Amino acid sequence: MTETVIAAKNLTRTFGEGETEIHALKNVDLEIKRGDFAAIVGPSGSGKTTLLNILCGLDTLSSGDVQVSGNSLRQMNGSQLSRFRREHIGLVFQAYNLIPVLTVLENIEYVMLLQKVAAAERKERVRNFLVKVGLEGKENRFPAELSGGQQQRVAIARAMVSHPDIILADEPTANLDSETGGQLLDMMKQFNHELNMTFIFSTHDPHIMERAKRLVTLSDGKIVSDESRN
Amino acid sequence: MLWKLAWRNLWRNRTRTALTSLVIAIGLLAMVFTDTMFVGMNTNMVKNATNSMLGHAQMHAKGFRDEQDVKLTLNDLDQALANLDSHPHLAARSLRVITHAMLSSSGGVEPVLSLGVDPQQEQFLSKFDEAIVDGDYLNFVSGQNLILGWKLSEKLELRPGDRLVLTAVDAESGEMAQELFRLSGIFKTGEGQMDSSMVLVPRQTLQQILKLEGKVHQIAMRFSQLTHDGVPVLPLSGQYQSSGNEVMLWTELMPSLYMMTQMTDISMAILGIILFLIISLGITNTLLMGLYERLFEFGVIKSIGTTPWQTARLIVYEAICLGLFSVVVGLALSVAGTALFAHYGIDYIGIEISGITIQEKIYPELEWSRLALYPFLSIGFTIIASVYPAFKLWNMLPIEALRKRKL
Ligand SMILES: Nc1ncnc2c1ncn2[C@@H]1O[C@H](COP(=O)(O)OP(=O)(O)OP(=O)(O)O)[C@@H](O)[C@H]1O
Ligand SMILES: [Mg+2]
Repeated sequence: MTETVIAAKNLTRTFGEGETEIHALKNVDLEIKRGDFAAIVGPSGSGKTTLLNILCGLDTLSSGDVQVSGNSLRQMNGSQLSRFRREHIGLVFQAYNLIPVLTVLENIEYVMLLQKVAAAERKERVRNFLVKVGLEGKENRFPAELSGGQQQRVAIARAMVSHPDIILADEPTANLDSETGGQLLDMMKQFNHELNMTFIFSTHDPHIMERAKRLVTLSDGKIVSDESRN
Repeated sequence: MLWKLAWRNLWRNRTRTALTSLVIAIGLLAMVFTDTMFVGMNTNMVKNATNSMLGHAQMHAKGFRDEQDVKLTLNDLDQALANLDSHPHLAARSLRVITHAMLSSSGGVEPVLSLGVDPQQEQFLSKFDEAIVDGDYLNFVSGQNLILGWKLSEKLELRPGDRLVLTAVDAESGEMAQELFRLSGIFKTGEGQMDSSMVLVPRQTLQQILKLEGKVHQIAMRFSQLTHDGVPVLPLSGQYQSSGNEVMLWTELMPSLYMMTQMTDISMAILGIILFLIISLGITNTLLMGLYERLFEFGVIKSIGTTPWQTARLIVYEAICLGLFSVVVGLALSVAGTALFAHYGIDYIGIEISGITIQEKIYPELEWSRLALYPFLSIGFTIIASVYPAFKLWNMLPIEALRKRKL
C-alpha cells in the first residue's frame, strides 16, 4: 500500500459575501499518494489555482480540512506555514519563480540555506540537480540571462533540491511554447519515475494532460472526474 | 544569504539608491559641519574671553565682586599665592589692583577703571601688549606712566608723551589722592568697554596711591590643562583655596558665555532630530516604493519557505546596507568639507556675540566623539525608517503578494 501524502476532505472555499459570493471550491475530497503524477484540469475559473493554493497553505479554507504528510494546515500560523512549506512542499509558479538578483546556483541553494543544510551537502545537491535539469555550466548566470524554459527548469530544480514530499505547480508551462512545455513535463515525469517524486500540476493544454498518470477534472469548484491512466 | 540578497536588491535601482544615499550623506555632512562650526565658534569665543583679561579663573576677597570696595583686598596674600602655586597646572597669574578713578588732562576729565598690574605678568593674561597702536606698552612694575584705550585717548585728546592726572580715593583714610602720569601708549582691543574706560598703570604705583602696599584685589590665572569646554582639568577647590578669599572659574564670572556654549548640544539635538526625521521619511518612502515594485517576488520568497520574520529582516538589512553605504559617503564628504574650512577658516571677525567680539577667523573643530555619534544616528534612523516597510512585509500574506501582480 502506498503512503498518502495529501488528504483533503470536504474542502470549501468561498470568496466574498452575499450577492457577490463565489464558491471557488465546493466540498472537494482529494487524496494524493506518494509517487502520483496528477494533472488538475478544467475550464478557467473552475478552481484549479484555489485548490493548489489551499493544498500548500497559501490560501485559507472556508471549511473542511487538509492533511499534508500528517500535518493539518488549519491550525498553523504564518511562520508555521512558512516552515511547513520549506520542509514539505516544492512550489513552481507559472513564471517569475526566480529571485532576479541571485544566480542560478544561489536560487537553487536558497531553500537549503533556510533549511540550514551543510555547505558540502548543498554544493553536492546543487551540482546534482544542475546536471539533472540540463543546466550544467549555467550556474553563475542570472535569471534574466536564461530563456523562459530554462528558468522553469531552475524553478523545478529549486523545488526538488530541498527533498519535499510533493511538488505543486500551477500552470508551469503556460508561459512556454508547447514544445518547451512538453520537454519540461517530460523532465518532471522522469523525476517522478526515477526519484518517485510526487507532482500535482494544473494545466489547460491537452498535450500536457496527456503525460499525466492521473487526471483530476474540476468544473465549477467540484471534482467531476478523477481517472488514472497509463 | 539574506545580507547578500539585501545588498544586491539595494543596487537594483542604482539611481534611486544613489540619490537616497546622497540625501543621507548630505544630512550627515550638514550635521557634522554645523557641529564643528558650533564647536569652533565656542572655542573661539571662550578663548577670546579668557585671553582678554578674564583668565580661566580669578581670586578675590569675599565680597569684592559685589561691593567693589578698595578696602576688600585679598586675605593673607602670601599664603594665597603659595596655595595657588602648588596647583600643578597653573601656567600664569597676574596680581591686580583695581579701582575706579578720575583721569584728567588738559582735554577734560573722564571716569575710568584703573588697573594696577605688573606688565610682565599681565602679558600672559591679556593682550594689551599686542594691542598697542601708538606708543609703547608699560615697562616696569613701578613708575609714573600708563596706557589707555583709543576711545578714551580721543575723548581726552591725548597722544603718547602727554601728561595726565589720576585721582582716586585711598583705602586707609578715604581721602582723595592724586598722581601725575605720562601717557606711554594707546591700545585698541576691539572691546568697547576696555577701549573707552580702562587705564593700566604699574601696580606698585597704584598701591602707593591707594595706600595698599603689598596688597591686591584680584589674581587672574591661566591653566595649562583644560577640558574641551575650556575649564581647568583639575578642580580649584580644597587646598588651592585660602580663607576669606574665593576662586571663581570663567564659567561663573561670565555665565552668559558659558550658557551659550552649553546651548550647542541642545541646538544640535533639535537640528539633528528635524533633519533626520525628514531623511527617515524619505528612506521609508524609497523602501516602500522598492517593496511594491517587487511584491510578486516577495510573494515567491515567502511562499517557498522564508518566514515572515526573515522576510522582514530582508528589508531591515537593506536599510542597514543603505545606511552604511551612505555614512561612508557622508563621512568622506564631512571630513573633506571640514578640512577645507579648517584650512581657510570663516571670517566673522568684528561680529559681537553675547558681549564677546570675535577677533579671529573661526575654524571648524572636529570632535571625534561626535564624529562617531552622527554616523550611528544616521544608521539608527535608517533602521527606524525601515520598521514600517518591514512590518508591512512581515504582515503580508504571501498569497496577497502573489495576487497583486497579474501574470
Ligand atoms: N482572491 C479572490 N477573490 C475573489 N474571487 C476569487 C479570488 N481568487 C479566485 N477567485 C474566484 O474563484 C474562482 C476560481 O478561481 P481560480 O483562480 O481557482 O480558477 P482557475 O481554475 O485557476 O482559473 P484559470 O484557469 O483561469 O487559472 C473564480 O471564479 C475566481 O474568480
Ligand atoms: Mg489558475
